[in-house]
Amino acid sequence: MAEVNMEELLNCALCPNICRCECPVLQVSGREAVAPSGKARLAAMLQHKQLNWDEPVFEAISNCLSCRGCTIYCPFTELSLCDELLNTRLAAKASGIRLPVIDPCISNLKNYGSPYGQKGGPSAAGKKGAEVLYFAGCTSQANHPSSIDAARKLLNKAGVSFQMIDEDCCGYPAEVWGDQELARQLAAENRRKIVDSGASILVTNCPECWLTFTDRYPVWEQDLPLEVIDGPTYFLRLLREGQLKPKKSEFEKISYHDPCIWARAAKKTDEPREILSLIPGINVQEPLSYGEQTRCCGGGSMFQLSFPETAEAIAERRLAEFPEDAVIVTACPFCREGLLQEGRRVLELVEILEQSC
Amino acid sequence: MTDQIRAVLQESRVEQVEIDRYAEEVSALIGTEKVSNNHIDILSTCRDYWPVSSIWMLEGAVPALPQLVVWPQTTEEVSQILALAHERRIPVIPYGEGSGALGGVVPLKGGIMIDMKRMNRIRELDHENLLVTVECGLNGALYEEQLNRSGYTGGHFPQSLRCSTVGGWLACRAAGQFSTRYGKIEDMVVAAEAVLADGTVFRERSVPRTATGPRVDHLFIGSEGVLGVITTATLRIWPLPEKRHLASYTFEKLEDGLEAIRMFMRAGARPAVVRLYDAQETGNHFPELGDKRCALILLIEGAAAIVNGEKDVIEECVSARNAEDTGPEHVKHWLETRFNISAASRLLQKGAVLDTIEVTTNWHNAYSTYSAMQEALKDVEGTMLASGHWSHVYPEGAALYITVVGFPGDDKIVYYKNIWQSAMTACLAEGAAISHHHGIGLHRGQWMAEEHGKGLDVLGRIKNALDPHGIMNPGKLGLGEVRKWQK
Repeated sequence: MAEVNMEELLNCALCPNICRCECPVLQVSGREAVAPSGKARLAAMLQHKQLNWDEPVFEAISNCLSCRGCTIYCPFTELSLCDELLNTRLAAKASGIRLPVIDPCISNLKNYGSPYGQKGGPSAAGKKGAEVLYFAGCTSQANHPSSIDAARKLLNKAGVSFQMIDEDCCGYPAEVWGDQELARQLAAENRRKIVDSGASILVTNCPECWLTFTDRYPVWEQDLPLEVIDGPTYFLRLLREGQLKPKKSEFEKISYHDPCIWARAAKKTDEPREILSLIPGINVQEPLSYGEQTRCCGGGSMFQLSFPETAEAIAERRLAEFPEDAVIVTACPFCREGLLQEGRRVLELVEILEQSC
Repeated sequence: MTDQIRAVLQESRVEQVEIDRYAEEVSALIGTEKVSNNHIDILSTCRDYWPVSSIWMLEGAVPALPQLVVWPQTTEEVSQILALAHERRIPVIPYGEGSGALGGVVPLKGGIMIDMKRMNRIRELDHENLLVTVECGLNGALYEEQLNRSGYTGGHFPQSLRCSTVGGWLACRAAGQFSTRYGKIEDMVVAAEAVLADGTVFRERSVPRTATGPRVDHLFIGSEGVLGVITTATLRIWPLPEKRHLASYTFEKLEDGLEAIRMFMRAGARPAVVRLYDAQETGNHFPELGDKRCALILLIEGAAAIVNGEKDVIEECVSARNAEDTGPEHVKHWLETRFNISAASRLLQKGAVLDTIEVTTNWHNAYSTYSAMQEALKDVEGTMLASGHWSHVYPEGAALYITVVGFPGDDKIVYYKNIWQSAMTACLAEGAAISHHHGIGLHRGQWMAEEHGKGLDVLGRIKNALDPHGIMNPGKLGLGEVRKWQK
């Protein structure tokens, strides 16, 4: 378990937080306890034993979407508050403190390998040994399997030899909820299946899976011995190499929502836009905030399961930034789920691309 | 759990049974989801950005603790919260985003923290009359962002823009970095709505100027929560500027820079940004300019023809004081870094005390005020740096902003009190006013009598008339006892 960096945590705790305007949970709740410095102060007090773990403390420290919005204006370049809060939360497990609302999700992870419960059926597909392994992710499987179908069709149209495995959740939700041991178990099981697949490239559509594979698996000593590529980059590669040839799209006015992880952790803001630019007939109109300055949809850190009301309020706030008559396109199953509110059409990038190919 | 935490300045607290009864009744009025006695919410609203709070935080203490937190969403709910508190004699402290620098929100007598951040809507954007009516809990950067989206600017850019609320600006008579063109917040307020301690709501009309007796809404601008709660304000807005011109100069002496500014203000130029740094701050902020000369940075914006005219006037005035033109790049650098306030966090952890002290005075004693305050601060044992710059300029004078850093050894609080005592004594001796835009809060209240003379008594009588039970933010603005801090 990583140590909390007290110097950086205190830098935040002692700062008036010029990042406050970019903290979605603070802006929708108005609670000082969930402001970046509010959480940093609580975390610092826990470290200094001035505060003991209890449910309200854990709830406040968990009120971080890991959206990295607070990094946009943060003057402390070495500080990653969401990581410090994660490390703080991981220490709570020894005290037996947790969010009661996620108990069923933890059980689901243990029993079915998905926080959403029993999976629809075996997801393994394609030929074992194929070069490309497409990792669908449990959130797409549970909420929006149409994006998986679209990705599979695209891979077939491009003539890519690919396979899918009977995957488990990548482990990200378990760690977010403070159970690193369970996260590690899920990661080990996935790693075994991925290695066994014989693939040399792993493509994932879900940003949380991508971040977990590339950032957390090494921490959990489950390094993957193959190239992990994010969906937008991979499908752009197929477009550039002429393996996909889009025709005129049925969609005209599109507004692209940058998922936080793709935009701020992976720095993938050009790739999705280049894909859209290569589809004839599409007119992209940016929302109020976009690129690396994007704002969270409310789906980060499993908020849709942990804090559904907050997630919905954040999504409403974000939706107000889009042109009312545009189709919203994104590249993350959590963003899609969050932004899919009454009166709005939300699709994933792979679906838009597939419909034009 | 909060009982275990040392609350250094807690003067008193309301009986818990009274708080519990109030919580139950106010919950029935405004909803349980808007009321919290959770120790986490209480701990999180117990302080602002007063350096003393930060020093105590590192020592495991807090200034004082509230007993209940409420989040109203409407003016009516604010009224209900106050009326019930008034009836029960329970203190109420308004809270915005907690960026105040003088302990203005410290709940000396416990009570209710009324967190205004859920009142965060723009109620009306009036294109024809260039007015916006906004709820006071809206974050400053988000306020400006919404205006920009419609082609306007609010013209108010305090360093705390991203961590303060519109209500906080009004409560403290705030100033933004572009104040020379757009004015301080009191120049922008056309009308305000406020709630008195007994729950009475009043609102003045948004007409340009009146001769209908004193504007009572303007009485609340700068009242720091001691008279009531400001809930909405109608503010002036401006179309986004057509042209922006950046310029910087250096002067051999600070006095030359001050005189050049005085002359171009006298001639009618109103650049948005005017900042004149002493040699030490010039070296700190713009190392490439060295630390021997004094830098002036200027930003002029507005209609192109007006900007061009102001530029000509300014160039003539600075040339007359032998300024060296150092180009626009330094202004660009300032624009990029102007909200960065990371030094305090780092220095505090290294054992330093850092604070900023802003005062205001007329041109005739502008330089002598700077010299006197700087010397007074350097004389305090432990002081490592006392530097200053002038900004927020007017035809009649300007605001002086002093930064002081010291490594005082064991007792940081004694050092903190010493630097303030020295600075305020020098400021008052020079005839300058003790604050330009940070306000009074808890700490600066001790010099209010000297600042205002009989005027403070008048303010006290107004306070007693509007808040007869003294529930509104007790001990602030130099009104009421603050025994533990002044001891």
